[in-house]
Amino acid sequence: MSINLHDVLLRDFSSMLKDSNDHDAIIKVGEDSNMKEFFAHSSILKARSNYFRRALSIEWTTKKDNMIEFKKPNIDPAVFEIILNYIYKGEVELTNQSGELIFELLIATDELLLEELFYKLQGYLI
Amino acid sequence: MSSRKQPKGKIRPPKKPNSADAQFNDNWDRLAQAIREIHKKNASILSFEELYRNAYNMVLHKNGDKLYNGVREVITQHLEEVAVSQVVPAFPLSGASSSQTNPNGAGGANFLKVLKTVWEDHTTCMLMIRDILMYMDRVYAKTANVPLVYDLGLDLFRDTIVRSQNYPIQNHLLEVLLQQIKLERENEIIDRTNVKASIDMLLELTDASTKDTVYATDFENKFLETSSEYYRVEGQMLVGEYDAPEYMKKVDKRLNEEEQRVRHYLSQTTEPKIRNIVEEELISKHLKTVIEMENSGLIPMLRNEKMDDLGRMYKLFGRVVKGHDEMKSAISDYIRELGKAINETVTSNTTAEGGNAASGDKQTGATVAVRWVQEVLDLKDKFDKVQNLALSNDKAFQTSFNEAFEYFINKNSKSPEFISLFIDDNLKKGLKGKTEEEVDSVLDKTITLFRFIGEKDVFERYYKQHLAKRLLLGRSVSDDAERGMIGKLKVECGYQFTTKLEGMFNDMRISSDTMTDFKEYLDKSVLEKPKLDLSVTVLTSTFWPMNLSASPRCNLPPELTKACGTFQNFYLGRHSGRRLTWQSNMGTADIRGSFKARKHELNVSTYQMVILLMFNDKQDGESLSYEQIKGESDIPEADLKRNLQSLACAKYKILVKEPKGKEINPGDQFNFNNDFTAPLQRIKIQTVASKVESEGERKETREKVEEARKHQTEAAIVRIMKDRKTMEHNLLIAEVVKQLQSRFMPNPALIKKRIEALIEREYLERATGDRRVYNYLA
Repeated sequence: MSINLHDVLLRDFSSMLKDSNDHDAIIKVGEDSNMKEFFAHSSILKARSNYFRRALSIEWTTKKDNMIEFKKPNIDPAVFEIILNYIYKGEVELTNQSGELIFELLIATDELLLEELFYKLQGYLI
Repeated sequence: MSSRKQPKGKIRPPKKPNSADAQFNDNWDRLAQAIREIHKKNASILSFEELYRNAYNMVLHKNGDKLYNGVREVITQHLEEVAVSQVVPAFPLSGASSSQTNPNGAGGANFLKVLKTVWEDHTTCMLMIRDILMYMDRVYAKTANVPLVYDLGLDLFRDTIVRSQNYPIQNHLLEVLLQQIKLERENEIIDRTNVKASIDMLLELTDASTKDTVYATDFENKFLETSSEYYRVEGQMLVGEYDAPEYMKKVDKRLNEEEQRVRHYLSQTTEPKIRNIVEEELISKHLKTVIEMENSGLIPMLRNEKMDDLGRMYKLFGRVVKGHDEMKSAISDYIRELGKAINETVTSNTTAEGGNAASGDKQTGATVAVRWVQEVLDLKDKFDKVQNLALSNDKAFQTSFNEAFEYFINKNSKSPEFISLFIDDNLKKGLKGKTEEEVDSVLDKTITLFRFIGEKDVFERYYKQHLAKRLLLGRSVSDDAERGMIGKLKVECGYQFTTKLEGMFNDMRISSDTMTDFKEYLDKSVLEKPKLDLSVTVLTSTFWPMNLSASPRCNLPPELTKACGTFQNFYLGRHSGRRLTWQSNMGTADIRGSFKARKHELNVSTYQMVILLMFNDKQDGESLSYEQIKGESDIPEADLKRNLQSLACAKYKILVKEPKGKEINPGDQFNFNNDFTAPLQRIKIQTVASKVESEGERKETREKVEEARKHQTEAAIVRIMKDRKTMEHNLLIAEVVKQLQSRFMPNPALIKKRIEALIEREYLERATGDRRVYNYLA
């Protein structure tokens, strides 16, 4: 017998993203006035994305106060929020998003090599 | 840009490509610089995100090939520099003769150390380069069908460093590796870490054309070649300098070392190859030499029971194809040789004994037999022990040993008789003082020898004779042991073999019951009681080995004749239709003799009783001549002589013979020895004990056996033909041999004669048309 309890797992991961106080990475996304800080768990980012696995490895990062700081200036914070949601929950809500934003999301997923999402979006747009 | 005024002039350079070019150059310069920094181990100043984005943009703008080639160039350049600045200066001094200038290989070790650093640096850098070029790997390399950047790095390292066209790095590397291994083989301590690092490096690099590792293409063959040569020389040296046990220890050690070496710093794929080389050079090539080493080879090991050395040889030699065969045949030859020696001492003894048999030492014959069997058993024990302790109870060895035993045991034509005599000896007296287990173990061992005998029917004949004597003379120590032995024979040969033996036991038992009944019969009877106690054993003539069909001549004393008559009436009254014959040659009697000193009870044979009773009628000092005794008793001459010998020439001299001497001759005079004294009251006059047969008896036994074989062969032929009805000559012969070989090995000529005899008697006929085929005639 196998028991499938994905629902609760999903809920718990969402809450990790929303109200966690044990994150170890700050991702500074966007530039200048349009810059926003996201708090995240490096272990989850690494587990879900090869890009982050390399980017957040000890070879490429230095920790400040036990916190990894990573800057991603060329992505819009709104786009990154969707990406983060995808990373934590495997969910992407596109219903109320503008076409432009979705296009930007497509470009960002290509750069970050989030292939699964990239192909979904490509299918969605065509 | 839009705020800027356009300069004058009609011709403007195309803007977009230009800016894209500039963008590319800018991006590439930064990336190339970053890679250089990585090579300088300055990566901490670099930003992953930026570099990644640079590469990403370049690939995105279709400049993947430029990026890829650029990276190749930068890495190649760097490796060239490394080769010149680090690797080449570390070359061990004086190249090929480095082992001479650096006897401990320090130069080589240092070279490996440098190479290890260079390799580690390279792989570390390549991992970081791979990180920032991940997008290129994923998007460009895949579509352009070029190696991923890390693999590109490996290829560049292979071609620029390991197989450099400009510097003899490869030669040095291989030479140093082989030299380090050689040093280690010569008991130097080397730094295995460095060797392992280089080996691992070669294992990670791939040869472009063979797709095999550079280890396999560049190193392994050279390693195997030099190893082969090394052990070829060493093998010759070792056999010259060491004895067999030491040699084997050295080989064992070498095998171990090579296995360890592979485990520690070579590839596992090399293990069987190097093992084969050591086995070939150190074992296969010197098999015979080591086995035949004087004073220390296989035979001396066996002679001195060097179980450890034998065990080592067994294990070592088992590694090569011919190893065990050579051992087996050497040991078998040795067993045959020892067996031959045992046979020879015995035959020389018996012939010597034959010469002075008349001197009357009756035991010698049996002693020779017992000693022969004991020596064979000891030999068997010895090789069982070898088999058990050194040869892991290897079945193949056991078979070959058994063949060797079988060979020499059957070389001694007397072995069936000897083995039966040995059992006889043990069941008669040898078992006293032994526990039941010991008895059983002796008998079990004897059975193993019995298995080796080809002529089991001859054994059976002797066994029957010996058993008959034991039973009739009451010489058997233990009924259980007797039955135990028959049980074992039954297991070996089936019930046919033992039915007659069991019949003999039955006769003994029934006789004892019969005697009880006879006593009752006498008590109740009104007849006059016999003046002596008569004990009769009734033998079924077909079970017993002697010819019982007629009573031998002998004039029994009247009291005895009368008692016999009484029994005969009693017995025939119960069993009508039977015929009793009296075997006076097999009986014994207890009689009382009055001598000057005291009275003695004498236990004698029936014949001896007859002889002694004649002296009752004589005055003191009156003698009887041989002829008188012979005439009056009517005892057959050979028996008479033997019994007179027992009475007059053996330990207890009840009769005095004139002239004195060991032999009984016509004309001899005999006197009752009134002066006879003996410490015991009861005296047993030894009847002739079982002993090895004389030549005459042997011939007779042989003839009986041959006669029995004729019958058995005919019976087998008839049995087979009755079943098959028609059969071709060769097939019939084969089938007969198959059926009879458990008892003896019939020769085809004998079978052919029997077939002819059966044709004559019209049991068989030759088929019309094909004379090679026989038909069964119902």
